[in-house]
Amino acid sequence: MNRSSSNSEGPKAEQIIFEFFAKSLHIILESRTPFMSSRNFSGDQMLCSPCSSSSSSSSVRPRDKWFNLALRECPAELESFDIGRRSSVEPLVVDVVLVVVGGEQDETKNEQVIERWLVQYDNRRVKEAAAASASSSGSSSNRRSSSNNKLQVMYKKATLLLRSLFVMVRLLPAYKIFRELNSSGQICKFKLVPKVPTIVEPFTRREEAEMQKFAFTPVDTICGRLYMSVLYRSLSDVSCQHSSPVSPTFITDYVGSPLADPLKRFPSLPLSYGSPPLLSFQRRHSWSFDRYKASPPPSVSCSPSPTRSDSQALVRRLPDIPTGRRKESYVEECFPSQEFSPPCSPSGHVDAAVSRGITRTESAPVRIPAPSFESKQNLVAPSPRLKLLRQASLKPVRNSGAAESGAGLEKLFLYGREDFRRSSGVRLSTNSSPRISLSRSSSRSYQDDIDDTDFPCPFDVEYDEITDPSSRPGSFDQRGDIHEPPLDSSGGSYPKKSQDAAVGALVNMLKKAPPLRQDISESSVPEIYWNNNNKTGLGQEIAAASSMTASGIGLAAKTTADAMEELRSYKEMKNVLLSQSTMGSSSVTATTPFDVTES
Amino acid sequence: MNCEACQLKELEVESFEIREVLRCILHTIVFHRALGLIRPKDVDLELFEITYVQCGEIEVEKKIDEKIEQLITWIDKHPNKKCQICLSFYEVKTKQPSWFTNKIERSYWEQWHISLNVLLPTKPPIGKSHHSKLVVDPGEESEERSSRRTLLEQSLQEVLFQIIKFVNEKKDHVPPINDGVIYCPFEITFPSASDSTFGMDMLKRMLHSGSHPSMLS
Repeated sequence: MNRSSSNSEGPKAEQIIFEFFAKSLHIILESRTPFMSSRNFSGDQMLCSPCSSSSSSSSVRPRDKWFNLALRECPAELESFDIGRRSSVEPLVVDVVLVVVGGEQDETKNEQVIERWLVQYDNRRVKEAAAASASSSGSSSNRRSSSNNKLQVMYKKATLLLRSLFVMVRLLPAYKIFRELNSSGQICKFKLVPKVPTIVEPFTRREEAEMQKFAFTPVDTICGRLYMSVLYRSLSDVSCQHSSPVSPTFITDYVGSPLADPLKRFPSLPLSYGSPPLLSFQRRHSWSFDRYKASPPPSVSCSPSPTRSDSQALVRRLPDIPTGRRKESYVEECFPSQEFSPPCSPSGHVDAAVSRGITRTESAPVRIPAPSFESKQNLVAPSPRLKLLRQASLKPVRNSGAAESGAGLEKLFLYGREDFRRSSGVRLSTNSSPRISLSRSSSRSYQDDIDDTDFPCPFDVEYDEITDPSSRPGSFDQRGDIHEPPLDSSGGSYPKKSQDAAVGALVNMLKKAPPLRQDISESSVPEIYWNNNNKTGLGQEIAAASSMTASGIGLAAKTTADAMEELRSYKEMKNVLLSQSTMGSSSVTATTPFDVTES
Repeated sequence: MNCEACQLKELEVESFEIREVLRCILHTIVFHRALGLIRPKDVDLELFEITYVQCGEIEVEKKIDEKIEQLITWIDKHPNKKCQICLSFYEVKTKQPSWFTNKIERSYWEQWHISLNVLLPTKPPIGKSHHSKLVVDPGEESEERSSRRTLLEQSLQEVLFQIIKFVNEKKDHVPPINDGVIYCPFEITFPSASDSTFGMDMLKRMLHSGSHPSMLS
């Protein structure tokens, strides 16, 4: 008899105890797991799919009936608990950990246990109860009723305890953190992570001293005693600083931005303008102007819009060009826009085209526009000026105001050097089409380049310069000099060997173009822009270019001298190479602009 | 069955805080005594950073709100007076009907005493601000009010802790859970004009105001 009664009580009691553990865990997790569930149960259609198959919020789930407390969502941890605890009644420890987001690598320094719940069942009284029941006398019915009564009392007390737990979890400081995390619109530097550790690390004495304890009154069961307690930190101990709501800011160091790419800058060119222009400058396309970042990135908030700031910077900067005080880093920005009007400009097309090109740098490899892109007839017309810009740009830009105007070209040219090598190759071949593309590796004919006005190519201008009739290899071939292209050259279609010559010249320029840090005296100017036979005209153009920047006149003159010097060196090289080529096969691909005559 | 009683800590409240404070305390107690199947409802206090729990029963909410409104009305008529609210849980026992009585007897098994000290709002004398010594600097007044509010919040939390402790310590007197009964029946009472202390309160009012005593409510 005793056995039958005890047999029925035991499993029931164990089930009550197990469900008590599960309910406790559910209550704790429900109020410590952010974003788990909505707050108010009434009216919500919260479903606990892992817990039950109930499809209606108004229906009572089986688990809700336990202790007459219908809770909200069933957290995943509870499910794992269910699986793990069916066979044992070991103590349940729930650590509520405050984790600092984005903290140090060492996780231990970023975590702090702000609460530790302990639910424990002590069945040491089982033996005592068994002994008492064995020695007790009385009818079996009395014992059954007594056992049932005890179960009811035990269940009632467990229900009361869980009610208290439900209220208590909302009074502790961690609940405020939980609510803060659940609130929307804030990015917190911390998160709340409830854990059910399998291995519980005891607190140190110091930690325990810092924490407060609340112990619920134990619930006597027929075969043991249920304990529940909590160690918690007061709010003052918990650093729950969170960032203010994120206000819209502009990310300047996005992937691919100049700011994200710590490229070399030119410290010798101090900025003369404030942050906003610089920001816009730096927000040009990464590949095009990254390396010309001349100053530290400004604050993020100084520009209303990256895209708009670029265009604004362009407009802003234009008036500064003539002053000649532009720094190297601003060259490409200063590069022509509508206001950029070299004195010798025959038309405004260049300005517009160049400005177009500048604006295009924001998103793609820059195509230095020229009227030639649109009209082959006009290809040559702007070239002298562009040449001037080019030659100016090839000088150490940091010292040259005139160079600023063309520095953009130079930079593009220099930047595209490697890409150009990769894409177009150093070797020039009559059978190959030059690939004047900074970013594309596919071969394109020059004609395609010409025809495709939208094709972003940083070397288009140089290419056009190169293919300028005045700078054709043919001219070299004929006179060994670079002819200055006539201003009224009709342009027209360029023969293919000019194309190869242009490529070669380009390659040579790339190879020999001095770094921007170089001294002026060391700079080299592609000889295609120089014509010994037309020094006067060239000088005029140079003067015209220098006139664009008031303070750059002297620098322009100096540039000319250096260019002449370089021209002489190129001539010598050319002669050497020509002599070599005549000895070698005709299919030898030219590696210098001087060889283009062969192809 | 023993009737357990719990005297909660006295709270100093202003008239506009009565409603929230009483709702928090009364609902928390009733929640602990709603042993039927319930779906708890969290409610945030507007004046304090405290979240209390309701049992989710509309009848309970209505009953509590009605009583609170009655109390506020009474307090408005009896200002500057300490208020004792009693929340009592009882069991219904029907006596054997007799010739004269068919009374349903209530057997109270638990009483909760809530003490409120309703403060009068501090207002500077009208028209005498430049002479009166009672002029209160607005900044100081707000500081004082915020500090008092903080103290009240802490006290309210202490009261809630007190409730939890009492509920945990005393469980044997709670009647068993009956099927179909969501919450233990309760009643809320507060002293009325019929109290024995009425006379003393009137005398005090006369001494302070010097005016004729107001009509009995």
